Amino acid sequence: MRWQDLARYAFGSVRAHRQRSLLTALGIAVGIAAVVLLTSIGSGVQRFVLAEFTQFGTNLIGIAPGKTTTAGISGALVSNVRPLSMDDAAALAHLPNVLASVALVQGNAAVEFGRRSRRVMVIGAGHDGPDLWQMYPALGRFLPDDNPLNARAFAVLGAKLRKELFGAASPLGERVRIGGERYRVIGVMEPKGQLLGFDLDDTIYIPTARAMAMFNLASLHEIDLLFRAGSDGNTVAESARQMLIQRHGRDDVTITTQEQMMDVLGDILAVLTAAVGALGGISLVVGAIGILTIMTIAVRERRGEIGLLRALGARRGQVLGLFVVEAVLLASLGGLAGLLVGAGGAQLIGLAAPDLPVHTPWQYVLGAELGAALIGLLAGGYPAWRAARLDPVEALRAE
Amino acid sequence: MSPEDGLRFASRALTGHRTRSLLMLLAMAIGVASVVLLTALGEGARRYVNQQFSALGSNLLILLPGRNETTGGAPPMLGSVPRELSLDDALALLRLPGVKAVAPITLGSAPVSAGRLSRDVLISGSTASMLPVRQLSMRSGRFLPAGDPRRASALAVLGAKTAAELFPNRNPIGQTLRIDEWRFRVIGVLDDVGEAFGMNTSDVVIVPVVAAQALFDVEGLFRVLVEVRQREAIPRVRQRVIELLKLRHDGEDDVTVIAQDSMLATFDDVLRALTLGIAGIAAISLAVAGILTMNVMLVAVSQRTGEIGLLKALGAPQRQILALFVTEAALLSLAGALAGLALAQGLIALAAQIWPDFPIGAPGWAPIAACGTAMFVGTLFGLLPARRAARLDPVAALAGR
Repeated sequence: MRWQDLARYAFGSVRAHRQRSLLTALGIAVGIAAVVLLTSIGSGVQRFVLAEFTQFGTNLIGIAPGKTTTAGISGALVSNVRPLSMDDAAALAHLPNVLASVALVQGNAAVEFGRRSRRVMVIGAGHDGPDLWQMYPALGRFLPDDNPLNARAFAVLGAKLRKELFGAASPLGERVRIGGERYRVIGVMEPKGQLLGFDLDDTIYIPTARAMAMFNLASLHEIDLLFRAGSDGNTVAESARQMLIQRHGRDDVTITTQEQMMDVLGDILAVLTAAVGALGGISLVVGAIGILTIMTIAVRERRGEIGLLRALGARRGQVLGLFVVEAVLLASLGGLAGLLVGAGGAQLIGLAAPDLPVHTPWQYVLGAELGAALIGLLAGGYPAWRAARLDPVEALRAE
Repeated sequence: MSPEDGLRFASRALTGHRTRSLLMLLAMAIGVASVVLLTALGEGARRYVNQQFSALGSNLLILLPGRNETTGGAPPMLGSVPRELSLDDALALLRLPGVKAVAPITLGSAPVSAGRLSRDVLISGSTASMLPVRQLSMRSGRFLPAGDPRRASALAVLGAKTAAELFPNRNPIGQTLRIDEWRFRVIGVLDDVGEAFGMNTSDVVIVPVVAAQALFDVEGLFRVLVEVRQREAIPRVRQRVIELLKLRHDGEDDVTVIAQDSMLATFDDVLRALTLGIAGIAAISLAVAGILTMNVMLVAVSQRTGEIGLLKALGAPQRQILALFVTEAALLSLAGALAGLALAQGLIALAAQIWPDFPIGAPGWAPIAACGTAMFVGTLFGLLPARRAARLDPVAALAGR
């Protein structure tokens, strides 16, 4: 039998029992649609989260005081006996390939203008902040390159704080009180949205040394290094570590590169996506049992036909091939329909809820379709093997 | 035909085609088992979080210095503020009606050494009230003595892990250790209760709050835990705490007060929704099993036209034929659901053996809902083939056409 004939034969038997084939394929289709839809949502969330983190650039290294060992808040961030100082930050800026070194502290204080007051996050930062976060002033300018230990009392507002305190009026040149001290507003940042529950727009930026004095802090909360694109982050991190060991006499800081963080985060999210896909896969298994059942019935019904084929000289392998092709055909058709429904559903969700990021990963889609064909192969295999093993004489008599 | 005869007829029809019936049963069983198993996992996660929260203490108000105007966002975690929450603030709260105990907490990290061993450890400054408020218990020795909380006695209580690391094979009680450049005498070791939401109580040194403030040269407190006498009074006491602190801080409302209950409720809601979602996804497989049932029943009807014709010729009304086939589908679903339940219970018991710390267990509604859905789906999808059988023309059916 030529392969065209084989295909036509299998196609014919799928078409002969139209309703039955339709329902069998439907079972697979539901499973594939579930897998595609769920992985689309999972992978969309993954992209969204990674994009949230990379918006600050990827050539970053964070240095925090203390050796962090447990989850949650490291005690060293709150207070410690081996502070990370402004001098450390200044020294780190001289390392090769380091473009900027920003000393950071954060706290919480009331910002007052006229009779309005609002409690917000106060970030003590240096003039390199915008390059580091890739987040620029929409109005005015960022903190100037003053002497870090004796910076002028300038402040830059987050977009939301500006709206709340000043409304539509221009805040530039106005004086605000932060925690009781007077600052002159020199800029407003562009809106940036939320990250992990922190509203990045409900903030105010002031020089680090002033923030440390305001909050009575002995140590920085973090030093962020921006390194030259193309240079190796791990090398820079290592030289930063060496320099701090020299300065402090011991290794007492925690250094994280953005790369490491992204890798860990990406891994976790990929596992989650796969797990969600596997949940949808349960339906696929049930669909496979459907193919197995229907093919078993088909072989039983068509014993006479099989006997005739065998009597006409068809070999066992050919009979096996016939039924396997039929099963694979059923599964692939169902898979294709499921793909369309799943991907279409994902697009619909994307249209209906633009906030929910949806992304159909094509390798998963391809994998799902191949998986469907494979399921057909596996589920059809046993009944086909039974058909091939039928004794021609016995089978003919069954007619 | 009596109902018993109907049942017997249906079960005969099922056992007649053993392979096919077994496969359909398997499909149903997989669906039911996955629904029950996954809800059990979700419920386990919920119970786990509940345990973690109750390990933190009960009826607690948690005070953080600083307050963000943005509601729903994260509270100011690090708590650096111009006006800090002072020890006097914390002690003043004790005078409020409804407050049972107040535990001020300062936090920091410092190198701790004993003999030649040294390690960086979380240092927590507190008072005697921390023991009951955090529901800690002592393995040996005693906790910080009750007395004037403003006295900086050089006493230290160790977490279980710290004690094991710094004093291997030695009784730490009565020994001296150095925290940075300060000397402390060890008076007790805590029981190891593990970690609750990042608040480690195993690798920690607890010292009097004033000593910790001197050690780190800080004035303020990192957190204040307030234990409320009665659960119902929590919202009222929370309001009083906010008002008192506002008064003490010259009219400035600059402290975040979180009720432990409201945090727990949020987690609870999220995990419940998650469990339901997962169960829903697993239930899709039940629909697929239903489609399979319908398919096979349709085949069965077309194969058994002769039989149906005979029944009709013998005077069976349409409704009876319908009932026969629906019974068959329902029996099949029931058997599948029961098999699935047994499978799920077995796996849950196995999981409980392997991970004894994880409180896995299906909530009461899960098996009922799973079986109910299976029965409903099976019967629903059995209805169409049954109707087709019932509407067959007796003469044509008898002729086998």
